Amino acid sequence: MQITGMKFGAELLRLADFPVPEILSSDATLDELNRLIHKRGRCVVKPVFYGGVGKKGKAGLVKIVSGALEAVEAKKKLYFASHIFHERVIHANGVTFEEFIPSSYEIYFNLSVSTLTRKVNFTLTHHGGVDIEELPPDKVVESSFDAITGLKAYHIIDALTNLKAPREIISPLARFLPKLWELYNDYGFIMLEINPIRMENRNGRLIPVACDFKAQFDQDNPHWKRLNLPDEVFQTDLSPFEEEINQLRTYQGQSDVVIINPQGTVTSFMFGGGANSASTEILGDKATISTDFGGNPPYEKMYKIARIVFHHWLAQSHVLLIIGGKANNTDIFVTFKGMFDALRDHIAQSGRPDIYVVVGRGGPNLIKGMAYARDILDRLELPYTFFGYDTSIVDVVQYAVEMDNWLATKKSAV
Amino acid sequence: MKNKTDIHPLDCCYVGVRSLEEIVTRETRVCIMNILGNESRKVSPVSHAYSGGNIVAGVQYGRSGLLKSPVGDIPVYSRLADVMEKHSFDTGVIYLPPEAVYNGVTELCHYNKELKKIIIITEKVSVKDQRLIRAICQANRIDLFGANCLGVADSWHHVRVGGALGGDSPEETLVKGSVAIHSNSGNFSTTMAEYLKTRGFGTTTIISSGKDVIIQFALTEFLFAAQNDPRTKAVALYVEPGGYYEKQALDLIASGALSFNKPIVVCVTGRWKSNLSRACGHAGALAGSGDDAMTKEGWFDSYFGCEVFDPDHPQKVSARGVRVASIQHIPLAMEAVFAKNNMSADFEPSGSLGLKPWFVNNFHLHLPVHLKQEKQTAPEPYRGQIEQVNRQLGAMPMRRNMRNASSASRIDPETRVAELHGRPIVELIDFSYEENIIFALCGRHPEVSQLSLLNRCLNHLSLPPDFALEVSERARANGATPNQALAGALAVLGDNPAMKTARNHAVLLLDTLGAAAVRDLYDMRRAEALTETLAGKLTFCAEARGPFAQALLEEMAASPRRSVLFQIAAAICARGVVEEEALFLITLLAIHFIYPALALKQMARQTAEDVVAYLMVIAQTVWLTAARPGENTLFRQLRKEEAGMTRSFTEVAYQALFNLAPTPEQLREFQALLALTLTNGPGTISAKGAKESVSARNHISTAFMGYLSNTGLSHGGSGYEAIQFLLEAFKENPVNDPADVSDAGGIQKLAKEQAAAYKRYKDEAKLRGVMNYRRIPCINHPVFKGKRVNIDPREEYIRRHLRAAGVENVFWDFYHELVKALYEAGASNNVYCVNIDAVIAVISLKLMWRPWREGRMKEQDMQDIGFLVFLLGRTVGVAAEIADHRSRGQDMDCRTPVSETRFIV
Repeated sequence: MQITGMKFGAELLRLADFPVPEILSSDATLDELNRLIHKRGRCVVKPVFYGGVGKKGKAGLVKIVSGALEAVEAKKKLYFASHIFHERVIHANGVTFEEFIPSSYEIYFNLSVSTLTRKVNFTLTHHGGVDIEELPPDKVVESSFDAITGLKAYHIIDALTNLKAPREIISPLARFLPKLWELYNDYGFIMLEINPIRMENRNGRLIPVACDFKAQFDQDNPHWKRLNLPDEVFQTDLSPFEEEINQLRTYQGQSDVVIINPQGTVTSFMFGGGANSASTEILGDKATISTDFGGNPPYEKMYKIARIVFHHWLAQSHVLLIIGGKANNTDIFVTFKGMFDALRDHIAQSGRPDIYVVVGRGGPNLIKGMAYARDILDRLELPYTFFGYDTSIVDVVQYAVEMDNWLATKKSAV
Repeated sequence: MKNKTDIHPLDCCYVGVRSLEEIVTRETRVCIMNILGNESRKVSPVSHAYSGGNIVAGVQYGRSGLLKSPVGDIPVYSRLADVMEKHSFDTGVIYLPPEAVYNGVTELCHYNKELKKIIIITEKVSVKDQRLIRAICQANRIDLFGANCLGVADSWHHVRVGGALGGDSPEETLVKGSVAIHSNSGNFSTTMAEYLKTRGFGTTTIISSGKDVIIQFALTEFLFAAQNDPRTKAVALYVEPGGYYEKQALDLIASGALSFNKPIVVCVTGRWKSNLSRACGHAGALAGSGDDAMTKEGWFDSYFGCEVFDPDHPQKVSARGVRVASIQHIPLAMEAVFAKNNMSADFEPSGSLGLKPWFVNNFHLHLPVHLKQEKQTAPEPYRGQIEQVNRQLGAMPMRRNMRNASSASRIDPETRVAELHGRPIVELIDFSYEENIIFALCGRHPEVSQLSLLNRCLNHLSLPPDFALEVSERARANGATPNQALAGALAVLGDNPAMKTARNHAVLLLDTLGAAAVRDLYDMRRAEALTETLAGKLTFCAEARGPFAQALLEEMAASPRRSVLFQIAAAICARGVVEEEALFLITLLAIHFIYPALALKQMARQTAEDVVAYLMVIAQTVWLTAARPGENTLFRQLRKEEAGMTRSFTEVAYQALFNLAPTPEQLREFQALLALTLTNGPGTISAKGAKESVSARNHISTAFMGYLSNTGLSHGGSGYEAIQFLLEAFKENPVNDPADVSDAGGIQKLAKEQAAAYKRYKDEAKLRGVMNYRRIPCINHPVFKGKRVNIDPREEYIRRHLRAAGVENVFWDFYHELVKALYEAGASNNVYCVNIDAVIAVISLKLMWRPWREGRMKEQDMQDIGFLVFLLGRTVGVAAEIADHRSRGQDMDCRTPVSETRFIV
């Protein structure tokens, strides 16, 4: 759940009274563009991406223009620009025209949780506008502060003093940066980054202005909903399948899914974060999806999840894999009943798929659950092999992989 | 300002424990927040028993009482302040929902100044709450574990605190040894412990760390405590991407700030997660820059000074330990690392991790050798459990709240047609009453060739004891409604000795057939062995064989399709007369009829055990509802006929009601009526009455009373309104034969007159401002409306079906003409549908027409018969609901939560 750019960033920053440049949307008229450019002689044109996209500037996706027609030209190039991030191609959906803020300084500021201090850390440098990783350690301050009292002006003053920052920027930053803590703390942020903050000279006083914005929200903190962000902000985060499953997200039982390979041929129900991590690694591209349904989901939730999974993935699969270690508190009977009732009902509706079922599982009510699954598969005449907790789950997944290889060969021969 | 690796967590943060052996001990005293929550109420009693009773109390906001455990009850209080008045504890365990976890921690810190540890089991706690919790616990000098974890277990102390490490049999997994485990995965915590046993390693302390963004008891704290634990010789770690916890610990060791010299075997997984932009699995297992799985592997490989463990060359490990690629290599790697350090395993290896399938069925798939797996024997106790499930007959329904829910009936949301066991009731009109009785109990109809056996049993069972008949008649004489009179009679049936005897016979038969894994009743191979087993368990008596038992045996012997049960019955009875032989044979036959459903696990075993009790109640309803059965010819005949009677039970029910033999057409219509009234879904108050009675754990006959007390003049008796309307309409134009529909013009004319009259009445009523004017019964429907011409598909189906069989009904035709005439007269906006209730009314009226016209039946009798037909049908449908709720529901599950109740001033 990430936001990049000023289209929504500016709105959020206004909540904290943090200064932002004037921003026009894609449908700005030539008059409006002329007026914006006239203010500073230039304006910045950026593509709008949903979700996290990495570094746009480096990818040449930010244009600075000095005329309205030039701005329109940049809009044409950037409106549907594509960008590769985390091996995914991301497409832009519009542009923003942003007021250019002349400044002698570019500040980098970041708030995020540190796993070293297990507190919120702030990272600050007045050598911003570049990749923070490229700066030598003495030019950056990373420091934590008390989670209860929060970020205070003196934290900023101390940090900038240690960095030997120009005196003229210390006071305005000490005044405005703590406001970002309020935004971060009140609206479910897990990370907030502004790079650059440019120092605008207003009547002889420097005022920090946020010129780009990046944020990540904590899915488990409902406070982000207070922001009333439009649904499309996070739309690229989820495929329709993931979106459907996500509707079932409750605190009882996991329902995490991610698509691994839309052309995959092994569809898995993985139970537990460990099984999820280890099994997905072994399955590689064979996996249609990676899942974690551990945490003792109730029957209804398991049934609904399974119906959705079967609807999206069963037809193309050679192997249906159910994998988990020896469950501590997940009731195997309840979860198996949910999955296999769903399989029975799916088949009643959509016909019998040509699949092999491989199970590796342990835990409470194991035999009751396996016997229930066996009876349904026997009735459906679907072949299966069930392994107990005394077989390594890695070997079970490997067995599923080999079964998939064999079935693929067999099917292609037919 | 310090850089990342300069921070010394043992300097900068509070760690209370000095050794792993101190974390949970036999002296640890625990209080659980939200102890009656779904998970905690199951896990806590097991933990309590395993740990020698270490839970002093639990808190459940707004409730108090006791939570039962095998070693004594755990007191439950509605708030922590009350716990503090009576108990002391040093460890708090939190099972609260995520949004309440922070409050729970502050509450624990506020009230208990002696608190040393908090373990948070809850998942999906926000990062913000996690850091606030940490700040508070650090300030209060409390060690934190979790969140999103399974707590801590100690195999030496025989203690587990928090979650369900080791599942419901912790002693299986938590075997004393020398390896400490720290795992980002709760499941892998115990899976690794299980795997280690295969190379002879037991465990000291197992910590399920959780893998949220913030890990509260992280690797540095763990290694610090492991170093100081004299029992721990080595540690096993399971690590996922995200966070610098491991780097921090390894850097501290490297710098000497953390003293640690015991070997480590670590498994890092999750390379594939490096491209994820949101978590899948553990919330914190999401790499940022520089903390992905591959980087973490590098941290450990550098620390060990060797590459990933190669099972083919196990000697290539360092004394510091080794990283493994998957957790199945942990035992072998641990063995190699122990050897490198001149240490030996804790005990003899047990088992292996190779492929050992427990259940296999490849059907006709010819697998290649490398994939073909032979079924292997599971270790105990699973082997015994597998044998048990293989012997088991019937489904294993999951017990759950069945209030307003049913697995027996439903209303199809699209067609609005009620279904019983997945079949629309309109389809059930083709089956006789007796066939639908068996269908209601097991979801399958019996074989037609064996119906006479079924009828003989039902007719025999239908004769109620005199005292029940007396109650019914006395109630009627005192003005009781039919449902009331029947309920009274069922009350005195109770759970009588005959029902108990039949139940015992059923249990014996089911156990015997199950043990022999009989799936096909026509497979005779086991007949002899089964006979021997059963004969050895039955009691024989010196009495002579009764004529009814004799007749049943003869009929079974003559059956064109003999099941193994028929053969067994013959063989057993050839040895002598079984005690309560008639009941034994009836039970045997009842099991025979439902066996296909049992073998396919389509019905619950409990219903099979109770099958004769259901048949008794249903069958006796026929005579307990009949008016003056003593004057009924068939009743008298049945009583005399000692060998029983094979007459169709549908016909018997008809004669019980009308005291007349039906024509084939009348029988067909009557059969349809009974099928149509079987059910109208679990939401009807008749079904709800039965279900509520079951949820109070009543006998079967009492549950039927629950249904009967929820029927009455407005539910079951309302069909009479339509009959009254029809009688009124046909008062001036009486028909001689309701099956004669040749005078279509006459019917049309009558409908137009009625429509015009109704229009006048309606207009006048509206003019007077009377808006609740009388509606014509059985037309229009809340779903099947709004078109120019509307049709209730259920009514249409049955009408077409009966017409195809040559069954005509003048009242039915009249209704169809009436809805058209109403529209034409302007009394309705469109052509209303004739609804399903009309079907019941027109068929009932047709059946009663001749006796009424001949003066043999009064209007009151007509009203009663309409109600009684409903009761006969619904009793069978309700049997399905009772059986369903008894086998799936929970005690008191029909209770309405207080939050849903209202006080009306």
